This record gives sequence, C-alpha cells and structure tokens, in this order.
Amino acid sequence: MFYVALKIISYDKVRSFITLLGVVFAVSLIFAQMGIYLGLMETSSIIIDHTPGDIWITSKNCKNFDFSQPLPEYLYYHVLSTEGVQWAEKLIVTWGIIKQKEGGTEQVEVVGYNPDTGIGGPWKMKIGDSRAVKNGNFTIVDDSAKRRLGDVKVGEYREVLWKRLEIVGISQDVKSFTTAPIIFTSYRLAQKLDPNWIGPDKTVFVIAKVSPKYSVEQVIKNLKKRLKGVDVYSKESFSMKTRLYWTIETGVGFSFLLTISISFLIGMLIVGQTIYNSTVEHIKEFGTLKAMGASNFDIYKLIFSQALINALLGYFMSLIITLLSVKIYEATEMVMVVNMWVNVLILGLTMLMCLSSALVSIRKIKKIDPAILFRG
Amino acid sequence: MDAAIVTKDLTKIYAEGRIEVKAVSSVTLQLNEGEVVGLLGPSGSGKTTLLSMIGCILRPTDGSIKIYGNEITGMDETTLPNIRKKYISFIFQGFNLFPALTAIENVLLILKLKGINKNVSNQRAKDLLTVVGLSERMHFLPRDLSGGQKQRVAVARALAANSPIILADEPTGNLDYTNGRKVMEILRNLAVEQKRCVVVSTHDNRIEDIFDRILLMEDGQIINEKRRLS
Ligand SMILES: Nc1ncnc2c1ncn2[C@@H]1O[C@H](COP(=O)(O)OP(=O)(O)OP(=O)(O)O)[C@@H](O)[C@H]1O
Ligand SMILES: [Mg+2]
Repeated sequence: MFYVALKIISYDKVRSFITLLGVVFAVSLIFAQMGIYLGLMETSSIIIDHTPGDIWITSKNCKNFDFSQPLPEYLYYHVLSTEGVQWAEKLIVTWGIIKQKEGGTEQVEVVGYNPDTGIGGPWKMKIGDSRAVKNGNFTIVDDSAKRRLGDVKVGEYREVLWKRLEIVGISQDVKSFTTAPIIFTSYRLAQKLDPNWIGPDKTVFVIAKVSPKYSVEQVIKNLKKRLKGVDVYSKESFSMKTRLYWTIETGVGFSFLLTISISFLIGMLIVGQTIYNSTVEHIKEFGTLKAMGASNFDIYKLIFSQALINALLGYFMSLIITLLSVKIYEATEMVMVVNMWVNVLILGLTMLMCLSSALVSIRKIKKIDPAILFRG
Repeated sequence: MDAAIVTKDLTKIYAEGRIEVKAVSSVTLQLNEGEVVGLLGPSGSGKTTLLSMIGCILRPTDGSIKIYGNEITGMDETTLPNIRKKYISFIFQGFNLFPALTAIENVLLILKLKGINKNVSNQRAKDLLTVVGLSERMHFLPRDLSGGQKQRVAVARALAANSPIILADEPTGNLDYTNGRKVMEILRNLAVEQKRCVVVSTHDNRIEDIFDRILLMEDGQIINEKRRLS
C-alpha cells in the first residue's frame, strides 16, 4: 500500500510539490517557534540552572528570578544551622543603570555573588577569572552584552549606579532573557550599589545545599518550619516557576502557542485538501477495489500512507532547514533549542497534522455509491 | 455442488423522493461455472442494477441471492467484503484503472488485496497480461494505452484474481467494434478454459454469438432466455 501511495503521490508532481512545500512551511515554522520559545525559557532560568545547590529561599510570593525582593541577611545563618543543610550561600539579583561610553544609559541586571565560592557567579569565563571581582569596585560583563553596551574591554571603567567599576573579566553564555545585559559584581559591592534597596544587611536569595543523607523534600520542610515570611523552593521548581511566569503571565507563551497552532492548522488544511482531492479523483478506482473485496480499512491504509509520506518527507526537509538555520540564530546571539525531545515532539505533531487531515477522506470512502463505478 | 449464483425473486426499488422506480422485479435465476452469460436489453431495463446486486455491491429491496451457497442478503459490511474478495471480480465500461500505476501494477494491486501470495501473483500477472496480448506494454501507464488495451488490462486484472465469478458491465461500451469484439473473445476463451462464471451486460447485439446463454431484460424482468445450441 505504501508503494501504491508513493506512486500516486509521484504521479501528480506539481500538486505533490506544492503540498510538500506547504508541509515544510508549516513544520519549519513550528520548529522555529518551538525552538525559540524553548531557547527563551532556557535563558530565563539560565543562572538558576547553572548554580550549584538544591534549594532556593526567596522573598514571600516571589514570582521569578528577576523580580525578587530583598531578605534580611541573618536568614542565611538560620538556613546554615537548619538540619540537613550542608552549605548555604547568599546571592543578590537587582537592577542597575549603566552609563554608555558615547552617552545615554542602558538598564542592566546586576548579580552579586560571593567570589570565594563562585556560587551564582559566571560559570564560563572568556577572559579573566570569576574570583577577580573580590574586594573592590570590579565587574564582569557577559560577552553577549556587547550588542547593547558596545565593545567592552577588560581594564575599562564603566559607571553603574553612579559608581565607577573596572571591568575585570568577560563571561560567556550568560544570555539575558529580559534583554537587559547581565553584569556580575561581588556580593558586597552589590549591596553597596543600591543602598536604599538592598543595603549592608540584606540579600535577595539564599541558596542551600542538602547534606548527602537528607532528601531535598525533607530539608525544604525543615526550612519552612524554621523560617517565616519567605518561600522555599527546590532548584527545579524555582527554575520552572520562573519559566512559567514568563510563559503564562506575560503572554509570551500564548503568542508562541498561537503561531504554532496556526501553522499546524495551515499544514492540516493543505495536506487535507490535497488528499481529499486525490481521493475524490480516485473514487472510481477505490470503489473498484472495494467491489472486488477490499475492505474500507484496506483503502484507509492507502490514504493514510499518502498522508504519512507527506508527513515524513515534510518533516525531514524541515529538520534539515531548521538545523541549518540554527547557525544563523546563533550568530544573532539568540538561542534556538533543537534537541531529541523537540524533534520527537514535532515529528509526532507532523504525523498528527497529516493523518488527522486525511480523516475527511474517510467518510468519502465509507459512502462510495456503487452507481459511480458503472459510469463510462 | 452449489451453483455459482442463485437468485430468487430478486427485486430492487429505487426510491427518489415520492417517485419509486422498480429497476429489477422478481428475478429468479441460476448461473453456473463455465457459463458465459449475456445480459441484454434496452437502456433502463435493469441490467446494471441486477449485476450490482449479484456482485454484492447493491442491496436488494427484496428476494435472495446465494453465492456458492452463501446467502448474502442478510450480511453486513463487515462480512460482505470477504464474499467479494473470495468470489467476485468486475470489469467496468470505464476501465477504472489507477492512472498512476502501470498495467502490471494495476493487476498486482488487486491480487494483493485478494490475498494472493506475492511470488505467485507476479508470475500470474505477467502470464495474464501476455495472454491478453500486452506482454510488450506491461509497464505502460494507462494514459499510454488505447481503450482496447486498457480494457484488456481490466480483463487480466479480473481473471488474475482467480475469482470464480466475473461480472462485466458494458465492457465494450467505450470501444469500437473490432476492439470490443477482441476483448470479448479473450474474456470468453479464458473464462471457458478456467471454468469461470461470467455475466456480461451489453447493448451490443453484434457480440451475441460470444455467449452461451442470453438473458433478455425488459422493465426489470427477464422476458426471454436463449441458449447456444452445441
Ligand atoms: N442509483 C439510482 N437511483 C435511482 N434510480 C436508478 C438508479 N440506478 C438506476 N436507476 C433506475 O433504475 C432503472 C434501471 O437502471 P439500470 O442502470 O439498471 O439499467 P440498465 O439496463 O443498466 O441501463 P443502461 O443500458 O442504460 O445501462 C432505470 O430506470 C434507472 O433510471
Ligand atoms: Mg447499465
């Protein structure tokens, strides 16, 4: 049946080509949208995911990584002395204004970490060392910030929140979801940069590592009992919370979902109408097969095989196009995620798109009127 | 042994709105293996309707049909395909070949659906296409064949499947006399040789001599029967 379906498809080359083009268009769009969406989501929680430790303590009702409120610093000691905590660390995430060399300002997201442990700091350095921010007005700027901040060089000075900071390193891969470039300072400097908001006795997050013999759930329970007025998350759930915040509460997810759905529908319509037309054109032949003993199911197999061929050809062409365009995306500092899971998911979607579109032809086969077979 | 086809009081009434047309009316007949039967009669006399009912693709309004002893009038669409698969092949006026498939592929497709083993079917398709005179054109698409050649593919397709009953509706209707006659002679010779039961509906009195038995229809009834004297 597959062979016959292939012959039918290759017989009408122009129509099949247009159909395939439609599938490739729809599926490539789904690939791109899903890849960009997942890329954005990966970026939105990139620091959480790269920071060691199992538990994040945040201000009450904090919705995501980027917009949290300060906590009293003494909580750190409470966390440290809670049963099952192996180590704890403080981390500041706040907002700042940076002066541009040629005038004007840009907003930056300031991450203040302990340079002795490096926890919450940059995980990959292009130039310099992540410990270099210690004891002074020093900052590390991410390589991806060049687009917004101009050509940043080690040894240069930039004014952040009215303090002159020396650039002591360039980090890599700390892409910003909010589009405001991410800069790193020492934890102590971050407290001083914005004294009215953070100040000397405040942190933003406390991160904890669970001792080997304890479960994360158990330690979260212990911490919740001990600390009042804060939220306690496992690393994974805080990462997921951040992603869901950007997905749902900002409408970003909806717009991606909408584009993906529309692409899916367009693909379905194109394949559906081609297969329907082909079924109508072959109705006498299909009827003849039925008259000689083919079951409806035999003929469905033929029709679904056509849909399947469209799906597989379209999918693999789209995959190739996508893999090629990932390179272009990388050049624009954006992240497009194409991995096993995305591939399998989209393969499933493509099959669903093509096979469900063939359903309209099913009724046609079920109801073949024998009278048409006899018309000359 | 059971007769190939036995009908009793077979009746078909088409109802279109308030108008009812009695297309076939109380037809009782028996058709046997090795018989080549002509169904003749004027347009609208019910030939096609009768053929469709015998071929199990149209439900009678009344009466019964037995195919090799199987009463089919009560069967539903889950069992009927098996009867058709086992016993029946068709030849149509319009050939009804898949335009995308070559002559031999059209034959093979039916053999596959009839559940015939792949090794056997290849040889059989080639043999039959050779017998109908298409050994040179097996790999031609229908668009590259003449009408007569296309109908010969359809004949090969019907015969290759080994169905004991072959039903043909106006098989020469789209062909000129010479080609029509050629197709009918091929069909007849193979049918007799392989002891099939062949029923052919036709307008064409000039091919009467092909048939062993002629049933003359008028107004849905068989009004006369002639047998070849042999
Ligand atoms: N599907 C249908 N619905 C309604 N009436 C029909 C249908 N098919 C046939 N008829 C009517 O039934 C009668 C017999 O038609 P049928 O096609 O069986 O005759 P026929 O002998 O095959 O004619 P022809 O030689 O023109 O092919 C005609 O009056 C026709 O109009
Ligand atoms: Mg007719």
